[in-house]
Amino acid sequence: MALTGRAGLLAALGAVVVLVAPRPDLAFGGVCLLLVALVLADLALAGGVRPLRLRRSGDVAVRLGQSARVELIVENPGPRRVRGVLRDAWPPSAGASPRHLALDVPAGERRRLVTTLTPTRRGDREAVTVTVRALGPFGLAARQGTHAVPWSVRVLPPFLSRKHLPSRLARLRELEGRHPALVRGQGTEFDSLREYVVGDDVRSIDWRATARRRDVVVRTWRPERDRRVLIVLDTGRTSAGRVGAAPIPQAGQAAGTPADPATGGTPPGWPRLDWSMDAALLLGALAARAGDRVDFLAYDREVRAWVSGAGRTELLSVLVNVMAPIEAELIEADSAGMVAAVLARAKRRCLVVVLTDLNSASLEEGLLPLLPQLSSRHLVLLAAVSDPQVAAMARGRGTPERVYDAAAAERLAADRRAITARLRRNGVEVVDALPDDIAPALADAYLALKAAGRL
Amino acid sequence: MSGTGPVPGDGRTDEGPASGDTPPASPGTALASPSPDAPAPHADAPAPGPAPAPGSAPAPAPGSGSAPDPAQAGTSVSPTARGIWRGWRAALVVAAIVVAAALVGALLTGGDQGRSLDPADSTLTGSRALAELLRDAGVRVERVTDPAAAGALASDDSLLLVTGSVPLDSEELRQLEQLPGDRLLVGFDASWAWGDLAPGVRVEEQARPRSREPDCPLPAAAKAGSAYIGGSSFAAPAGAARCYLADDAPTLVSYRQGGRTITVTGSGEFMTNMRLAEDGNAALAMNLAGARPTLIWLVAPDVPEESPATAGPQGRSLEELIPAGVTWALVQLAVAVVVVALWRGRRLGPVVAERLPVVVRAAETVEGRGRLYRARRARGQAAAALRAAVLNRLIPRLGLPVDAGRDAVISAVAARTGQDAHGVAALLYGPPPADDPGLVALAAYLDTLERQVKDS
Repeated sequence: MALTGRAGLLAALGAVVVLVAPRPDLAFGGVCLLLVALVLADLALAGGVRPLRLRRSGDVAVRLGQSARVELIVENPGPRRVRGVLRDAWPPSAGASPRHLALDVPAGERRRLVTTLTPTRRGDREAVTVTVRALGPFGLAARQGTHAVPWSVRVLPPFLSRKHLPSRLARLRELEGRHPALVRGQGTEFDSLREYVVGDDVRSIDWRATARRRDVVVRTWRPERDRRVLIVLDTGRTSAGRVGAAPIPQAGQAAGTPADPATGGTPPGWPRLDWSMDAALLLGALAARAGDRVDFLAYDREVRAWVSGAGRTELLSVLVNVMAPIEAELIEADSAGMVAAVLARAKRRCLVVVLTDLNSASLEEGLLPLLPQLSSRHLVLLAAVSDPQVAAMARGRGTPERVYDAAAAERLAADRRAITARLRRNGVEVVDALPDDIAPALADAYLALKAAGRL
Repeated sequence: MSGTGPVPGDGRTDEGPASGDTPPASPGTALASPSPDAPAPHADAPAPGPAPAPGSAPAPAPGSGSAPDPAQAGTSVSPTARGIWRGWRAALVVAAIVVAAALVGALLTGGDQGRSLDPADSTLTGSRALAELLRDAGVRVERVTDPAAAGALASDDSLLLVTGSVPLDSEELRQLEQLPGDRLLVGFDASWAWGDLAPGVRVEEQARPRSREPDCPLPAAAKAGSAYIGGSSFAAPAGAARCYLADDAPTLVSYRQGGRTITVTGSGEFMTNMRLAEDGNAALAMNLAGARPTLIWLVAPDVPEESPATAGPQGRSLEELIPAGVTWALVQLAVAVVVVALWRGRRLGPVVAERLPVVVRAAETVEGRGRLYRARRARGQAAAALRAAVLNRLIPRLGLPVDAGRDAVISAVAARTGQDAHGVAALLYGPPPADDPGLVALAAYLDTLERQVKDS
């Protein structure tokens, strides 16, 4: 049960009655009895909450930054009208609104209530409970009850870098020789023979075939297809560090709010993991379109996610679904385990794209000694998100504090350069880019490898 | 498609992250591909409803009148009345047992808070047993609650018994001092005003009440033998009988002065109902209190007197002046406050807690290193880092090999910018700055040099 403000007001007004009544003791008793009687009558006459039947329907997945509709169907099988408020409780980061819904279901009918979720972070958001407060006819007291109506909405990564996809696909078509300008297709894999038309590169005339036929025949080339790309996402502690500015307002942070001073003037951005996921999605989309087979592995100390053999058309939806619940674990990633997992899964030569951080300490102890195992069989591309704030700190001048910070930032940059150079010497391609640029930079690196025929 | 509610368990076909022409498959098919060791990527994601036949009709329209799905019934998680009773009955039983035990104990003992050394009190601390014994022995026991009544009864052949629990002001003390007859002062200690009731007796120190031997010629004590006594020990006037010694100081003193016998004891436990049957307590108490035919037993007043301060000019207190309606209205207001508290205190559903990912900015390690440099005044390290960064940017710009030596770099920079080679050498390879302003200046010079190389 629950009382309402009206009951409190009635009790307070009763005090006035008691004050002016000729027999205050009797008046007090009368007021109290009246209050209790009305509350009991309200409770008795309120619609039953327990027999309510609740059901959900609506969206089960939503991209971060968009809104999902979840419907709640409240059916009242009882003999009395249920009138009051309903709270559909979701975790705070689900961004459910409105908080309270007005409810008025006549006996034997059902009503559909809509909650709009605007999630502020990735992952699965589970509905908690539905609480109904059914008021009595006088509005003094209400019956209250809670129902468990499970529902889960998966908040998918937003894939913001898909705006870069058309331009990269155009580059890909160029590579494949399907460009309208009839440029000779680059690539290393023999595609087909066709008749010479004016404008073709004479160097690509296949004289042997020309001799067999009466026409001049040219060879066409295309980039290799059906290569394998294995995207490895490091979900260890280095991926938890927040860099850049969150493109989508996070929980507790309204859009456009500059910062709270406690965090040093800049709001914490997205974790490296989310930027890496964005880059992985762009790379996956591009590689799938280029005819390569894309596998995905998320690893810290164990396999967090593994996608293999997803078809070209379903790859992206599988990837976002698998990525959605992954959070960075606050443990040091197990590089040896990761390399073993990659070697166990990638039987044939493939492009292994490791999305991690260029942290010299953890790389030197972890991945670097193991790289020969990996790079002897596969082509390794290491992509890392650099921190724009470090770049900003490196430009600090004027006061000793800022110069010391700049020196620290330069020191970190030198470390990153040194580890990059070491990785390149080991035959590893390295992409080190700012959060906003990592996805297109990784796509470009992939296209460059493809153009060079190194896959 | 978004208009109809998608069937739970089936994927949405219009809400995909794909870019246009890659229609995402349903999660059901997506699930088939990951290997079993994947941590259940999304098997449970679209699992709405407690297993309500997933193929059931999509969100029925209100009032469509279809039979309610039986599996949907009983989603309520509020405790039922029976559940509440089950949950709380153990606690209620325990509470009932506690209350019953307390009631029984209170009834058996007649209340814990007795009136200490009161001849009409039958609790453990009262002295009704002693009073009854004295009456049986033919002593007239008069229980009085104020000194005036005591004065009316006092004679040369009476004994005035005053215990330490009686609050007396100086006026009443003076009344008592002028009364004729013997005196028995029980529980005489320093914390109470005794006036001149026992002249010459002075409290020495605290003594733990316990069973003590009399060791004195006083007949009342010598006949009684050991008794439970203590409280305070005294310095007695000359010629007094000193009994029940605690560290050579008596806890019972009896002497004659001005034609009367004055007896002082440090504690009155030996007279209580609880102790009376032990040792020679009863005998001692009878000997002391029954020494005269009349015993005037002064005890604390039964009801505390109303303090005259609150009485108004007409003798009416403030409470009496307030109309009864105000009091009742205040009570009613208190009821209203309780009702409002209940209204505001009832939450609509539970508080929802959520496990959030940690928020740690990646730049924190760099900031920490900067603060460490600053704290240790590590100008050498800082200058080296800044110079290395500048060199790293300058060398490719100057067209030098990466491993170019310092002389080559200096001469190339000097040639490019037209500056003195010594100055350039000091700037790029010189000793670390001596102080913080020097470091700031070095950083500025390096910036200038870099700009000059870039612009030249």
